[in-house]
This record gives sequence, structure tokens and C-alpha cells, in this order.
Amino acid sequence: MAAGSQLEQKATTCVSIGATYEGRDPALLARMLPLVDYIEITPETIAEAKGGSRIALSKEVMSELRNVRKEVKFIVHGVGLSIGSHEGWSPTYFHLLDELLDQIEVEWHSEHLAYTKVDGEHLGIMLAMAKTEEALDMICERVMIMQDRYKLPFLLENVVHVIPDAPGDYSDAAFLNEMTRRTGCGLILDAYNLECDAHNHGFDIRGFLGELDMTRVRELHVARGVEDNGYLLDVHSQIAASSTVALAQDVVRESQGSAKVVVYEFMPEAVPGLGYDTIADQLERLQTAFRN
Amino acid sequence: MDLATQQRKLLGLFRSTYEVAADDDAYIRKVARSGDLAEGKKNIALWRVWVFERTCALTVSLLRRRNILESLIKDFITSENISPFRETQAPAFLEWLTKSDDDLVASVAKFELALIRVRQGDRHTYTIAWNFEPSSILHCLAKDLAVESELTPGHYQVVVSHKIPGHFRIYELR
Repeated sequence: MAAGSQLEQKATTCVSIGATYEGRDPALLARMLPLVDYIEITPETIAEAKGGSRIALSKEVMSELRNVRKEVKFIVHGVGLSIGSHEGWSPTYFHLLDELLDQIEVEWHSEHLAYTKVDGEHLGIMLAMAKTEEALDMICERVMIMQDRYKLPFLLENVVHVIPDAPGDYSDAAFLNEMTRRTGCGLILDAYNLECDAHNHGFDIRGFLGELDMTRVRELHVARGVEDNGYLLDVHSQIAASSTVALAQDVVRESQGSAKVVVYEFMPEAVPGLGYDTIADQLERLQTAFRN
Repeated sequence: MDLATQQRKLLGLFRSTYEVAADDDAYIRKVARSGDLAEGKKNIALWRVWVFERTCALTVSLLRRRNILESLIKDFITSENISPFRETQAPAFLEWLTKSDDDLVASVAKFELALIRVRQGDRHTYTIAWNFEPSSILHCLAKDLAVESELTPGHYQVVVSHKIPGHFRIYELR
């Protein structure tokens, strides 16, 4: 398999196209709707502080989403669950997800295989899990709870390795394979994150994909950040590189039909710099790459 | 090393509250001396800058003009337990800045914090003291222009309330 090929070859498998939307920009939403099948929602970014520490979903944004529910499907992608924290996950995330699922229908929901807090203290960044038996047992138990609670497909995403990997009992792919085997959960494969890991740490993408059970991959992410001091940063501020799209195509081919959607991720802070036209061009490019 | 110990030590490294000992685990020592840790910390600050540029633009403009934005964000990250919920980050940052020794920074932060709250439906009325004429300063910050030439000393109050059209009004105290 030509992982990371520089050429965007025609995909042999057709998948849907999605984009992130964090609300409060109806013109952007209107521009994207004809170009996407899925809108990916992050509960935390459409939440507001309602005095004190109480956090609730924005009524304004939820109204926007309800208004377009006949034109597009929704998927949920959280950032604040912290499923990997040794002491337990974030209860606030559950409140927001409950509130969201009460109001709109979603196809599936997902989070990051990572932790963002330790003993209630926030890291300010996501750290990848140690690939140990202890971590695997803990994650699997929590995935089962999530699936039992929501009765929806649940996916976990590979995150960027900000720091070197800790010694573990599993390779990255073997950890994901065992997690999906034990729980039945699905995977999001973030192609840009893999490229960041290859660039920053010499991660072997070809070896990883060769070992991974790609029939568990339901969703792919493409994005692009900036390079700082020789490091590729996991920020979503640019259009995806051709190499990232080509890598996602490779995974779609190998997933044997399990991959359903490729989502272009960008943060709202990047929208003024990118502009609506550039975002629309990116989505059209993904349509060409993945719908044939 | 068990998961809890490893996560606690990594948290300490990221928050600069943990000093690696000579007999520490080899992995923790490796992370502590890696460029990845320093880059990760920069990444945390970069995310905050982007969020604050969008969510508290007036204050960010002032801090950037004074070349203190990055250092203050670094201090804020180190001293505060910042929620991952993005919309809570600007209010927390502004609340932290209201205690600044710099009168103008404190006034702008108090003003922007009050404005955010009122725009989100807060029914309180906020009164903020200013030691400089506020209108030209706020105009410059909104346009991201230099403010130093606009600092005219005086005694003013800015009242922020949902009852006021545009949500705020400036009063000169004589």
C-alpha cells in the first residue's frame, strides 16, 4: 500500500464528506451545506458558561442545527471527555452530550483516545495514552459504559503524540486492535495526526497501517496546521495537504467499506484567514477525491 | 510506573510544578529533557492565543500592543487550572487580568468581561472605573490600533448593562 502517496489518486471506494461546524456563523453553514453530507459537532465548543461554572449548550447554535437537520446528518466529536484520565472522566461532558442528544439525532459519537486532565487539573493539551495493559483495561471498561449508556456507535480517535511514547505492552496499532476487539467500538483515523507523528517523531505510518485492523475505521479526519521550530503542530488552521488526502484515500480503500465519511476539520479561529471560498474549495476537492 | 504516577508526573512537567530527580524513571527523564515538552508547552500557549483573539479581542489587542500578551498567557497557564471548555477560557483570563497592577489592563479586562456576561444574558449592571478617557482607547482597541497616543488621564466610569443600547455608556466624573 502506498501510504502517504503524494498523489491524490481516484478512490475506489466512495465515502461521504463532512466538515466541522462550531456555530454562530450561519453564512459559513449555508455555504457548506450543499457540499457535505455530515456536520461534525463538538459539544464543548457550542457550549456557553451560564454564570458560575455551569456550562450548557448554546440555544442559538442548537437552533441553527435544528433548522438544517433535514439537509444534513450530524455526528458528534467531543474533546473534553478525557477518557484516559486515571482518576475518571469529565462529568460535564456527559451533561452536554445528554443535552445535545435530547435535541438532535446523531449517527454516532466519538472522542479522542487521550487524557486532558489529571486529578482534576487540566493539562491544556491532549496526551496520548500509554499502551499498557492497565490503560487498555481502563479504556475498554469506559468504552463499554459509553456504549451501554448511549446505544449509539462510539468511536475513538488516534491523537498526536505530543511527547515521546512511554514504554508499553502494545504497539499503537495493536492497542487499537485489541480495544476494538474487546469493545466493538469503532475508530476515527486522523490522517494529519499520523503525518504529524511521522514528521515529529519518525512514526512509521506504513507499518502502523499495515498492522491496524482498518475494518474498524468508520471515520477519517483531514486537516492541516502550521510548522513551528521544526514541529508540525496539531492545529486546524489550513486546508489539508494533498499528502493528507492521499493518505486518507489509502485508508478508505483498505477499510473494506467500513469507512463512511471523511471530515475536514478546521477551527473557527481559522475561518477569517481561510475564507468561505477556500473552505468550499477544500470540500469540493474532497468530493472529487472520495465520490467517484 | 503505574498509569496514575505517570500521568501525575507528566502533568507536573507540563505545568512546571514537577522537578525531575536523578533517580526518576528513565521515561520521565527523557520527556523532561526533550524538545517535545517545550514545544508542547508552546502549543498550549498558541491555542490560548487563538481562542483569546476571537473571544476577548479588545484585551488581546491591548496586551499585544504592550508586548506582554505571550508572557501573561504563560503566567496564566501556569497559575490557573484552565478548563478545556473554550467559551469559559476568555472569562477566566479576563477575571485573572482584573487583578492586574496595570490600571488600563485591569479596566479593559473588567469592561470586556462585563460585556461578555451582559451579551450572554447577565442582568447585572457593572460599573468600571477608568483612569483614562475610555472612548478613544476602546475605538483603537476595536480597530487594533496603537493606544499609547490616546491615553488622556482623567476620571471616568463605564457602565455596562443590558438596559443600555449598545450595552455600555461612558461617564466622566468631575
